[in-house]
Amino acid sequence: MNNSNLDLLQHIMRRALRSIWENLYLNAVAAGVIAASLLLLGVYVSTLLNLNSIVDTWNKDTHISAYFDTELSEQEKLSMRDQIFAMPQTEEVRYVSQADARNWLTKRVEGIEDTLEELGDDALPASLEITLHQNSSIASEIEKFAQELRDQGFNELDYGVEWVEKFNAFLQLLQMLGVLLGGLILIAATFLVTNTVHLVVYNRRHEMDIAKLVGASNLFIILPFLFEGVVQGLVGSLTAITGLWVIHQTLAIRLQEALLLEIAGELHFLNTQQLLLLSIVGISLGFLAAFIASTRFLRQAP
Amino acid sequence: MIRLYNVSKNYGSIYALRDINLRVSKGEFCYITGPSGAGKTTLLKLLYGAIRPSEGKLLVGTHDVSKMKGKTLHLLRRNIGIVFQDFKLIPRRTVADNIGLALEVLGVPRNVIRKRVSAVLSIVGLQGREDVYPQFLSGGEQQRVAVARAIINDPSILLADEPTGNLDGVMAMEVMEILQAINLRGTTVLVATHDAALMQRFPYRKLCFRNARLESS
Repeated sequence: MNNSNLDLLQHIMRRALRSIWENLYLNAVAAGVIAASLLLLGVYVSTLLNLNSIVDTWNKDTHISAYFDTELSEQEKLSMRDQIFAMPQTEEVRYVSQADARNWLTKRVEGIEDTLEELGDDALPASLEITLHQNSSIASEIEKFAQELRDQGFNELDYGVEWVEKFNAFLQLLQMLGVLLGGLILIAATFLVTNTVHLVVYNRRHEMDIAKLVGASNLFIILPFLFEGVVQGLVGSLTAITGLWVIHQTLAIRLQEALLLEIAGELHFLNTQQLLLLSIVGISLGFLAAFIASTRFLRQAP
Repeated sequence: MIRLYNVSKNYGSIYALRDINLRVSKGEFCYITGPSGAGKTTLLKLLYGAIRPSEGKLLVGTHDVSKMKGKTLHLLRRNIGIVFQDFKLIPRRTVADNIGLALEVLGVPRNVIRKRVSAVLSIVGLQGREDVYPQFLSGGEQQRVAVARAIINDPSILLADEPTGNLDGVMAMEVMEILQAINLRGTTVLVATHDAALMQRFPYRKLCFRNARLESS
């Protein structure tokens, strides 16, 4: 870059900074609109990512409870356990005897002993708690595995995968809606910011008309606005990220207070890449709005 | 320096200028005169590229203005100084900032701008007024600031649209004397005016327009 261009750039930057200072209120409004839009988008993306992460954890934890026929002997039950452990889909098998089941229930439900006494020894059957390998934790695989268990004589099976699948489908729907909603938010924000920047341009049109008449290039006219747009985007992004962090912290504390410790622990804040992406979206939004508003002026300038 | 070949400018069926052929040489001083609506301002606007001719060819220096695109207009305007009746000064900027703008757009360093502003203010008789805001100056002084801005980058052409229109007699004479001095330094000067007294006091070539046509030259 030669000296003349460097001096030109200095003049342009000085004009941009002066314009930001002289139009502080309008610039703050533009940055505020960007911040609000990014905050909405950030809350949505963050919610979706956290729900996905929680569902992923649930998916990984998928296990099947297979209840033994009460007529089988202890020896037969243990033999079946070993057979199932040998199956390729199985990661872990835990044998839960009738006594273990009764102990487990009596510890958790106060005053149930009498009821269990009345129902007799067969009230709670022995079972196997089977944990599957992660690649076998998808619904179709689990269904196939369950069928194999039925073939081996297990009539009663319990695996809560169906609602996880339904929840997954719901999340996919949310994702699709998110793309639509995010797009709409960004379009609305561009429109709002463009109009705000247009007010800044309108405020300075007299000065820019004169600059054009004394030989200013189009770049000399629009560069200060583009710089302003980038600054608005940056300020808006930082404000949105701060807002998101405050919301995240507040929510985590509230969930802990509500004793939903597991969910509170699973709650993740957006990672560096996602925050960077959000900032890039904000800066691009400011830049695009400034570009549209300033080039609109250039078309009308003398 | 300036050549027009069969230039017309019309807005629908209304002609602002019709079939103009004209030649202005380097270093000439010309008046563009005629009644209101005769086409004086339209001619000046064509010369600095604010509007394009509907027909004909218009050459200013080496530029074919009739074919110029918006994004290259600045190359033409850097060679032309323009003075308006309403001065067109930026109220929020000091005299120095207003004048320096014409050099800022060229990327001239600040210290050079400061020196050139000082020098050009001496030419128009406003030395030491760099930091004053335009609203604190008289009409004549504001017009001299506008002239200073128009000549700071040594343009080869100076266009003035009714430069004395808002000034009283004495101030008008002062501004005309400055324009004359600029012309003596070799700048081609075109002044649109219908002030007969002025043209009598400073006699130069007259381009008389009437009903969108060049009546006499």
